[in-house]
Amino acid sequence: MLLKPTRSGRFGFQPVTEDEPYDIDAAWNSANADLLSELRSRHIGYVLQSGGLLPYLTVRENISLSRRLLHLETKEAADYWADRLNISAQLDKLPQKLSVGQRQRVAIARALAHEPTVVIADEPTASVDPVNAERIMELMVRLADDIGVTLIVASHAHELMQRVGLRMIEHEVDLGEGDSMHVTVSDVAS
Amino acid sequence: MSSCFILALSAVLLPLMVLFGLKSGIIENLLAPLENDPRFREIRPVGSGRFDPEWFEAMAERNDVAFIVPRTRSIAATLRLRAGGEDARRIIQAELIPTAPGDPVLPGIDAPSDSSHVVVSLNVAEKLGLAPGDKIEGIVSRTYKHERETELLPLTVNGVASAAAFARDGIFVSHELMVDVEDFRDGHAVPELGWDGDREDRGARRFAGFRLYAQTLDDVAGLRKALLARAIDVRTQQGDIDLVRALDRNLGYVFWIIAAIAILGYGISFGSSVWANIDRKRYEFGVLRLIGFRTHAIVWFPILQAILTGILGWSIAAAAYFGVEVGLNALLAETIGNGQPVCRLRPLHFFIALSITLVVAGLAAALGGTRLARLEPSLALREG
Repeated sequence: MLLKPTRSGRFGFQPVTEDEPYDIDAAWNSANADLLSELRSRHIGYVLQSGGLLPYLTVRENISLSRRLLHLETKEAADYWADRLNISAQLDKLPQKLSVGQRQRVAIARALAHEPTVVIADEPTASVDPVNAERIMELMVRLADDIGVTLIVASHAHELMQRVGLRMIEHEVDLGEGDSMHVTVSDVAS
Repeated sequence: MSSCFILALSAVLLPLMVLFGLKSGIIENLLAPLENDPRFREIRPVGSGRFDPEWFEAMAERNDVAFIVPRTRSIAATLRLRAGGEDARRIIQAELIPTAPGDPVLPGIDAPSDSSHVVVSLNVAEKLGLAPGDKIEGIVSRTYKHERETELLPLTVNGVASAAAFARDGIFVSHELMVDVEDFRDGHAVPELGWDGDREDRGARRFAGFRLYAQTLDDVAGLRKALLARAIDVRTQQGDIDLVRALDRNLGYVFWIIAAIAILGYGISFGSSVWANIDRKRYEFGVLRLIGFRTHAIVWFPILQAILTGILGWSIAAAAYFGVEVGLNALLAETIGNGQPVCRLRPLHFFIALSITLVVAGLAAALGGTRLARLEPSLALREG
């Protein structure tokens, strides 16, 4: 069971979700795509390797996407997160006008804007240079910590993840036929 | 949305619209003279008959009859005309043509309703120098009891008929005048006009012929058949009508074959473009799915996008078509259109083009949408 923790409108925005328990196993087993979609939209934020921004939407629209889906206020939230991620000047630009680092910041803003329970980041620093990678990770960890979001990061940059305070979790995945693979999962204590 | 995609759609749609515009314009030019010229709807009796008033009433009540008036015997249906009284320099012999309100060959001209008004043919008007409102004299003669008698009839010109209405010397007269002249020629008295003659009852009147016009071109064949069935031999322009109808039909087949191939190609082209567009955006749709967009929202997205693209593409094609139409008509109207537009689309045609565009767009996008419905959210993670 994944329970949405109660929040008290930290930034003056409407609470994202109500306190409803979700039976993830049941949703997964029933292959109820719409229920899983709702679950993702309410409780999970994603940061993809290349940002995963929609190229025909502006930065503001990209950031607002997750909140719009939940019928939440968007303008103030977009301004707030753009300010926190230092991309306010880019709000009305299309993603193609941004640097790779800026795109990742927009992706982080989108992932956090609806204050999800969990943010899953898949190689969020793979496309940027080491200096930017450090900055982006520090920022993401700080913001996640600020709003009490669990951050799950898949990354090859083990040292960087440890430097920014993420806890490493290693486990073995059974690939069948005698093969196995070691996977390290990092998270930050919320 | 790709503007190239919209332009590509317009580029396919525009030649189709021009093709249909040409088909529509050329066929309309061929049919217009037939549809608009009442002479093609005229049914003329061959020889003389004996038609009583009841027969005319029954014919007038038929839905396929637009106009019918009785005709008297040709030999009695003439009048000599002069303008300027006894000093007139010229007298001409004119045929009498019976008319009545609603005469299809006299549009916009008041049909004579009594024995003192006439409509003259263009030939008569030119020979006597007549214009509407002019006064003329009709001269009618007979040999009665071995003596030559002549009567004068003051007439007012109501109007001048076009050359197409009657190409010879003639005057359109009321039924009354037609009958009065025949009665006079037959030796009878015509008290209303002060013409003396036999006064005995001549019995029920029968007429030698008629002027008959069908309601539409399509009614001509049916009326002809009905009259022939009653042993009334008639002459029509059915041959000309059939010729142009056959031309219309055959040209229609050719255009429709071309159009069917073009529409099929257009459908495949547009459909595959929509499909390719969806395929190109699989990653973006995967991201939307991952973020939490539901299935119906994902499916509707390409459908709405395709419909919007269709509307914009159609709008551009329609605007460009108007330019092409003006150019083609300016170039070809005089040479092959007899002054009429050779390229013309009706609002209905634009509506049909839009409907086909939207149906094809909707179908292609719906097919693409079903693909999107099965899209895994993990796609964005794998390809991201």
